[in-house]
Amino acid sequence: MASIMNAGGLPSDQPGYSFSNASAPSESSGPRQHAFNPYTDNGGSTLGVTGADFAILAGDTRSTSGYNINTRYAPKLFRIGDDGDSSSRIVLSVVGFAADGNALKERLDAIVKMYKYQHGKPMSVKACAQRLSTILYQKRFFPYYVHAILGGLDDDGKGALYSYDPVGSYEREQCRAAGAAASLIMPFLDNQVNYKNQYIPASGTGHELQPRAIESLPKEDVIGLVKDAFTSATERHIEVGDGLQMLIITKDGIEEIYTPLKRD
Amino acid sequence: MNHYPQAWGRPRDDVYGPYDNSYFQASAPQTHTQSPAVTGTSVLGVKFKDGVVIAADNLASYGSLARFTDVKRLRTFPPNTVIGFGGDVSDMQYLDRLLQSLDIRENYLSSYGHVLNAKNLHTYLSKVLYKRRSDFNPLWNMLLVAGLDDDDKPFLASADLLGTTFSSPTLATGFGAHLAQPLLRKLMPHDEDSVKDVTKEMAVEAIKACMKVLFYRDARSLDKYSIAVVTKDGVELKEDQKLEDQSWAFADQIRGYGTQVN
Amino acid sequence: MTSIGTGYDLSNSVFSPDGRNFQVEYAVKAVENGGTSIGIRTKHGVVLACEKIISSKLLKPGANLRISTVDRHAGVVTSGLLPDGRHLISRARDEASSWRQTYKGPIPVHALASRMGGYVQAYTLYSSVRPFGVTAILGGWDSEAELGVDGQVGFGPSVGAGGKLEDEVVKRGGPGLYMIEPSGLYWGYYGAATGKGRQAAKAELEKLDLASPTCSLSLKDAVMEAARIIYVAHEDSKDKEFELEMTWISTLDGPTKGQHQQVPQELLEEAEKAAKKSLEGDDDEEEEEEEGDAMQE
Repeated sequence: MASIMNAGGLPSDQPGYSFSNASAPSESSGPRQHAFNPYTDNGGSTLGVTGADFAILAGDTRSTSGYNINTRYAPKLFRIGDDGDSSSRIVLSVVGFAADGNALKERLDAIVKMYKYQHGKPMSVKACAQRLSTILYQKRFFPYYVHAILGGLDDDGKGALYSYDPVGSYEREQCRAAGAAASLIMPFLDNQVNYKNQYIPASGTGHELQPRAIESLPKEDVIGLVKDAFTSATERHIEVGDGLQMLIITKDGIEEIYTPLKRD
Repeated sequence: MNHYPQAWGRPRDDVYGPYDNSYFQASAPQTHTQSPAVTGTSVLGVKFKDGVVIAADNLASYGSLARFTDVKRLRTFPPNTVIGFGGDVSDMQYLDRLLQSLDIRENYLSSYGHVLNAKNLHTYLSKVLYKRRSDFNPLWNMLLVAGLDDDDKPFLASADLLGTTFSSPTLATGFGAHLAQPLLRKLMPHDEDSVKDVTKEMAVEAIKACMKVLFYRDARSLDKYSIAVVTKDGVELKEDQKLEDQSWAFADQIRGYGTQVN
Repeated sequence: MTSIGTGYDLSNSVFSPDGRNFQVEYAVKAVENGGTSIGIRTKHGVVLACEKIISSKLLKPGANLRISTVDRHAGVVTSGLLPDGRHLISRARDEASSWRQTYKGPIPVHALASRMGGYVQAYTLYSSVRPFGVTAILGGWDSEAELGVDGQVGFGPSVGAGGKLEDEVVKRGGPGLYMIEPSGLYWGYYGAATGKGRQAAKAELEKLDLASPTCSLSLKDAVMEAARIIYVAHEDSKDKEFELEMTWISTLDGPTKGQHQQVPQELLEEAEKAAKKSLEGDDDEEEEEEEGDAMQE
């Protein structure tokens, strides 16, 4: 949020506005103490990928405070609207400030359950996605400091994935990485899932070069990509590691896979 | 409206004169407790096959002053939960009274017995802490909750002033997170799977060793401490333990501080 | 009642010319029809007992408790209109908890009795309310130990300024038993009884000689007696089935450690058995006498 408040790099010589002063904190009147900061970052990373008839959400299980590892097993993935009858087909992943993530999870879970009790049918992922955006935006001026990814199956049975910013802006995507190692994982996903920068060899020169056509990947391939993404992120990012939790949503239910990651 | 979102909702300088940024900057969020006053240091906790061992020293510091030396930072909740508090002592007392009132209300339903286990209390406390941080009026504590979960299995989890929670076979708050946690983790090479191989004696011994390390290295610590063993059968709480077999021989070797400058 | 129908009984808080408040008297009538409740105070603690009339065979035995915990060290049993009792108990709990919030310690039993009395009395003052249709018996134990404040973390200096005197002998704490009536009147008692069987119960309580400084009744004896008295008091309404419910509060070194608790199932059954036996004994004697008479004939 701080970056929004004092965004640098704005043209200070423009007439009419005094942005240049905005990022330079001026002396306040009266004594100022070190204030309470209600946020922290608990590290870790999450990602989601969809296929023709499935969606996979994944997250490492490490929780950190600065250079400390709080625990090696703190899941970031949650089944939403799960009554214990394994009827749930929606998964939420949250990464960022864990306490906010937990609070967000509990609220969405309660809402999705209430929807089922009141309407006698489970909430669609599309409706749930919109509702999640509303919850986030309701706290626009004291946001849940999390990057959320919501996964499930849409009305046609296709994998559905929605990604959010902390204040509720969202879109449906094929794949998305979030959290500490998002910048490491996302380009890998762009290349391997959406075939960005992949061209058909000798299909032309310059702009004539034909991009490799996007195809929907089989589940096993995606699981492989997810594992590779996290083992690599574990190597390059200190806040990622310990364990990888994957939740795979298909029409038959949610399958959970846990794989150890390096603990260093 | 223009393409500078930062300008939206602000008066234009060319119309109203230069914008008074100090007005904008100085309006930092109003907070209540800005910092803790009388504080307790680390709390340690280790699971073992039948329960949990938890310990904290008996010191309450006022800055660098060792202000109170008989402070009981392990608080019990019937029938078998112990909560170890680090951080602000007055906030700890507030939470202790909150738990007492909760216990009294539980006993209104006397025939149904105690139903709140450590897991329930941890959830409750973390929600209290999260609510208070969201009100910008935090309870300045880090706490460990030790006891049993719904299946009577060992339960150990932490909660802090931000409402952050996590659980692990070994936990340590404050200085202990740096000094004790790595030592305690040696007990649990396979994390949760190792708990069944740890006996009460092993857990107690590890905790005692860590309390000693903390006394050697944490300047805000004391050699008098409380230790509790929580099992299905109840709580075994000792509040006036003394650190045994201290060895300060290593102190000679320390260079660069105090009198031994080189 | 002689003055009924004169119009002075139609509104609460209105006096009749001869100085009576009829609504309160009617409330007492409601109590006199309720199940019997008693309390026994001894040096070693307090016992509360009540006769719970079983209004339906479909009610679960042992459920729907009638004696309530108000704070750790205090319990209340009521006779009369049950919902009125519930409301009064809820108020007593609020009083006990607000005392704790203010003074960071348990409310003394006499203070709780006073708060409850004051609350009940207020319901005799306004035409918009009716008096409580209950008489409550409050039992409690004020700790005999030197108590710190709730949440206290240490004990302060052991010597010197603020230190403790070695041989300080202070008499503090002890049992408390109070009965609060619909008028708001409350007295402290050695033994209290209310409800339908109160007359028989009071007669039995008086025999225990509780007021005497030499009374040798132990807490267990008190439990046994309480059970017996409830059974004796039930004799007049034998057609109705009932359950015996008992709670107790002991000294800090006693079985409940100063806390208000259910009498343990084992002891309750023992007391109940003994109570039944003593009544059967009475019957046997009568029967024997009858038989004897018959033989003489």
